[in-house]
Amino acid sequence: VNSAQTLPVIVTGVEQVTPLIKHFTLASVAGEALPAFSGGSHIIVVMRGETRIHRNPYSLLGSPRCLDTYEIAVRRMEDSRGGSHHLHDRIEVGSRLEIAHPVNLFGLHKIARKHLLIAGGVGITPILAQLEDLQDGAIPYELHYAARSPQHAAFTRRLNKRAGARLRMYYGSAGQRLDLEALLSSQPLGTHVYACGPARLIDAVLATARKFGWPDSHVHWERFAAPPVGDAFDAYLARSRVTVHVPPDRSLMESIEAAGVEVPYLCRGGVCGFCQTRVLELEGELVHNDHFLSEAEKTRAASVMPCVSRARCKRLVLDL
Amino acid sequence: MLSGVKSKPVYAPLVADTGGRYHLLLGMGEGNASLERVLRELYADRPASLQCTRVLFASPPAGGLADKPFQNFDGLQSVMQFDGSAALLERARAVLEQSLMGTRLYVAGPETFIGRAVQLAAAFGLSKDEICAEHVGSSARRVHCVHCRASTEEVRTNIVRCAGCSRWLSVRDHYSRRLAAYMGVSADAEVPGELPPIRELYS
Repeated sequence: VNSAQTLPVIVTGVEQVTPLIKHFTLASVAGEALPAFSGGSHIIVVMRGETRIHRNPYSLLGSPRCLDTYEIAVRRMEDSRGGSHHLHDRIEVGSRLEIAHPVNLFGLHKIARKHLLIAGGVGITPILAQLEDLQDGAIPYELHYAARSPQHAAFTRRLNKRAGARLRMYYGSAGQRLDLEALLSSQPLGTHVYACGPARLIDAVLATARKFGWPDSHVHWERFAAPPVGDAFDAYLARSRVTVHVPPDRSLMESIEAAGVEVPYLCRGGVCGFCQTRVLELEGELVHNDHFLSEAEKTRAASVMPCVSRARCKRLVLDL
Repeated sequence: MLSGVKSKPVYAPLVADTGGRYHLLLGMGEGNASLERVLRELYADRPASLQCTRVLFASPPAGGLADKPFQNFDGLQSVMQFDGSAALLERARAVLEQSLMGTRLYVAGPETFIGRAVQLAAAFGLSKDEICAEHVGSSARRVHCVHCRASTEEVRTNIVRCAGCSRWLSVRDHYSRRLAAYMGVSADAEVPGELPPIRELYS
């Protein structure tokens, strides 16, 4: 995959679906069919702001069988570095954007005997597309969807239509709680669980699954980390022979790209491992924010994921 | 024997997976000693885990067991003995039907027994990290004829006559988990009747 290759799209629909979530529909500028994808895929949306380029991952929520348009849902992030605000405040019907081709890091496991889908808030988006892949009814599934309140629960009508009685809703405002222990302790052999939503929900699913003996191969989750802010630092790119300055509110990857150096990526959210970069020299410490490297690898500090991770250092030399 | 074929199964000594919540142990013949080792490990980790552990075992078809295995383990959820692998696996199917996520499967015995058990487990959606298999005993192969699709059982030689179509088959290391069998390919397709020396390889 060539991450530099993008596709120009035009916004054909914008809808505010909850107080915080906007739903965008995108079509090819040339009027052609968009690239095929499977449920759980995401695209990178490239937004050219006034002072910087944002590249954010968003899950595709529409049907993989309909390639006339792509649909994404964007939650307005409070501590946004600008990407979600850009989409919420500046993008309207007729706006142009660039996207990278879809990549699936959260696909359904084809040989599962049952799928257990768990979503919190805007984490419902990849699952909406996964439901399309489950419409033939060959494999049983359940969908458990937790949201703050009915007002904050996006796409409930669409979910009801697709999942019907297989959908269970949990509204925090009504005091309804998703009982993960009861759920994960009673699943038949061959079940795969998929979790998408806030960190707290995903961490709870992982911990509960482990407690009840679920093997890693049956537990799937997706959470795109927004690159956290941090201290400014400099990095020297040994092969390109340039020094890049990384300001507090810009990621290492964005800073490298701003210097004209390409870093391969698929997710830009610390999940896929594609941008793993070798650290050649380090005086100081790395601040790992990814979900890809193991704890041991993080401690060893031999490599870093520049999409979300940073450094607190006097000197950092990367193999780029 | 080393083989460059990736599908050839690799086995390892059974190790108790204490991350599991339920344990199903299937043993045949000499493999039963390996199951006892797993039970000791589970007990050492947490005696109560034996209450969530079932053992299904069979003696080798030829002879009886020296003495009663598994009698030293108090508190096992169940221990059942069977006459042969068919009855054992039929019972295992019934247990798997009722089993929950968190179950680990351990299999020890001849290779064909492991093959059948892993095939059964796959039908229930178990993944590699839920199954542990140790090869103890016969290496005789079940051979699937790629021409007529019949199976030939208990194959010990590199060349065998297909039980279905009577072709001379060359027994490959290519293994199908779905069929629980090694592939057999016509051995004299180029010059009918011209066969390599027949040797016993899988005893």
